Amino acid sequence: MDVGIDAAGVRRSFGAVQAVVDVTFTAAPGRVTGLVGPNGSGKTTLMLMLASLLQPDAGQMRIGGVDPIADPAGARRLLGWMPDSLGAWSSLTAREVLVATAQLYDLPRQAARTRADDLLELVDLASLAKSPARVLSRGQKQRLALARALVHDPRVLLLDEPASGLDPQARIALRVLLRRLAAEGRTILISSHVLSELEEVVDDAVFMMDGRTVGTDRVAAAATRMRSWRVRLLADPSRGAEAGRADVAAALGRLSNEIGADRRDLLVPFADEAGAVAGLRALVGAGVPVVEFAPAVGDLEHAFLDLRVGPGGEGSPA
Amino acid sequence: MNLHRLGTVIGIELRQRVRSVGWYVLLGVFFVILMAVLALSFASFALASGGNEWFFSLVIMLVLLLVLLVSPTLSGSALNGDRDAATLAPVQVTLVTTAEIVIGKFLAAWISGLAFLVVAAPFLVVATAAGGLNPGVILASLGILVLEVGVVAAIGVGFSAVVARPIFSVASTYLVIAALSIGTLIAFGLGGLAVRSEQVSISRDVDWNALPAGCDPGAVNQPSQCPTYDELPCIENRYTSEVPRFDRVWWILAANPFVILADATPPTYVDGYPRDLFSQIAFSVRLAQKVPETETRFDGCAAPDVPSYETPEEQLDGTVPSWFVGLFVQLLIAAGLLTWGIARTRTPAKRLPPGTRIA
Repeated sequence: MDVGIDAAGVRRSFGAVQAVVDVTFTAAPGRVTGLVGPNGSGKTTLMLMLASLLQPDAGQMRIGGVDPIADPAGARRLLGWMPDSLGAWSSLTAREVLVATAQLYDLPRQAARTRADDLLELVDLASLAKSPARVLSRGQKQRLALARALVHDPRVLLLDEPASGLDPQARIALRVLLRRLAAEGRTILISSHVLSELEEVVDDAVFMMDGRTVGTDRVAAAATRMRSWRVRLLADPSRGAEAGRADVAAALGRLSNEIGADRRDLLVPFADEAGAVAGLRALVGAGVPVVEFAPAVGDLEHAFLDLRVGPGGEGSPA
Repeated sequence: MNLHRLGTVIGIELRQRVRSVGWYVLLGVFFVILMAVLALSFASFALASGGNEWFFSLVIMLVLLLVLLVSPTLSGSALNGDRDAATLAPVQVTLVTTAEIVIGKFLAAWISGLAFLVVAAPFLVVATAAGGLNPGVILASLGILVLEVGVVAAIGVGFSAVVARPIFSVASTYLVIAALSIGTLIAFGLGGLAVRSEQVSISRDVDWNALPAGCDPGAVNQPSQCPTYDELPCIENRYTSEVPRFDRVWWILAANPFVILADATPPTYVDGYPRDLFSQIAFSVRLAQKVPETETRFDGCAAPDVPSYETPEEQLDGTVPSWFVGLFVQLLIAAGLLTWGIARTRTPAKRLPPGTRIA
């Protein structure tokens, strides 16, 4: 059964504010799809509509083939939603939150308890099972909210900013967990504006800008546009940073002022990846001591920043 | 309506309440006030023998007043408070239906309001024993108290679903309670006066002008040519005046919770006179149902009648108990607000109250 997400022409406004103008995308089962966009681009509104909480003004949505507007109960059985705002019932313990949520998904009491214990283990909160959910730290609440979204073993996961507030270790654990959940054939849609965070986990990306999804052609175009590469040379205290810059410029046959600097690194723009390969080859051939050679910004960030500038905009500001 | 899910919603609400300190503080303050009233009442009613039934009805009235004052705080922020705390949407996204959420919250608020009646119960028992009242009175009044707590809980939960901000929904609940408790009194008074009808007073009396000078039919030895009372001509006078029609607006007063409480308890009359506060209030309210006469007659020429005297109990013949009319009006308000609340909380939401986020 295909349990992906399909959205076509989805639109929603709040009074005069057009939160979501035109969203069309698909998210495939077994893959993690990132929803990328700046603050206020309509990511959360879109998530709310997919989660069957908000009606779109127009457009079609399908969660695993179920229309969340026509059949909210059917869609809710399939989807797990983790909101960006973390509410916790005052004075209920972490375990009670999960047991109560499981019961709201029609699990019998005993099954709900077993499920809650399993999930606490899964998100590494077992030691805090008896603490009131209200006193948990932000990261712990975040993990509790993720466990809550998983309570009924949903086939589709809608995660709104799941990694914000997590420490590096929890973030790695989240990444591993998401990869595992996706490998089990689930569809995962995850939104974030921390792009480096998304980069580590997503298979596909959907870009949102001012309430619109950006067409894949534009994304592809952005990915091939001019971008900067970070070049770090072996530090040589006897020569200044300027000397390294001149060496690189000479090896690449460029002017020194074409090459930017970022702290101890140099930023060299290349038109595309083939250009970068040729550049690296030239640097190594010229005997320049290259320690690191990598895109200055991640793929997502590059595409995102590029889209931000708008169609026809020049390069990335990095 | 799935009972398992409904029970879960109620459980979540009640568990939060019994674990909050404020809840016990509220119950404690409630207890202390009742204690003080009981002590004062015993001290004051000890002056005279009897009168204890008045004391009992006073205590029940006070319990009703306190419960009306406390209940909105228990229910008035049920849904918008959850929305503010971002705990509503995660519940809405589960299989629980909107009706189950709203009704679950209403039942939870009702149950927590009943805790105040449990605290008040010993006082009611003591007051009944001291008043020597029949158990029917205490049962009927307790029944009405339970229903009133439910009505306020429903109004509060309904407003919390309709109004965006918790303070305004709590305030709205208080306003409705004020409208029912005081507003009905004002509306009844003004309404009765505004809806007037004409009353014709016809009085016949001896035409004193026809009496020859020097004659006095009342005198012991009046001249024989003077006419007696019977021989004097009679003249008829008509006055029209306007009388208030309280019989057309009595149902407004019937919706008053205090009137409902008073009217629903079995009345006790001693020698035709109301014996306690409840009976007194019920008597006054039911009297308002009587249609004023459109014509009053007084005949001074005929032998004067001894005006027939009716005791208060007899005057109520032909009136109906009003409490179920009032309760019906209240239940209508409560059910209407709950239904509206369910409609406004329904997801997927079409429109949101201004200034709110769904999550």
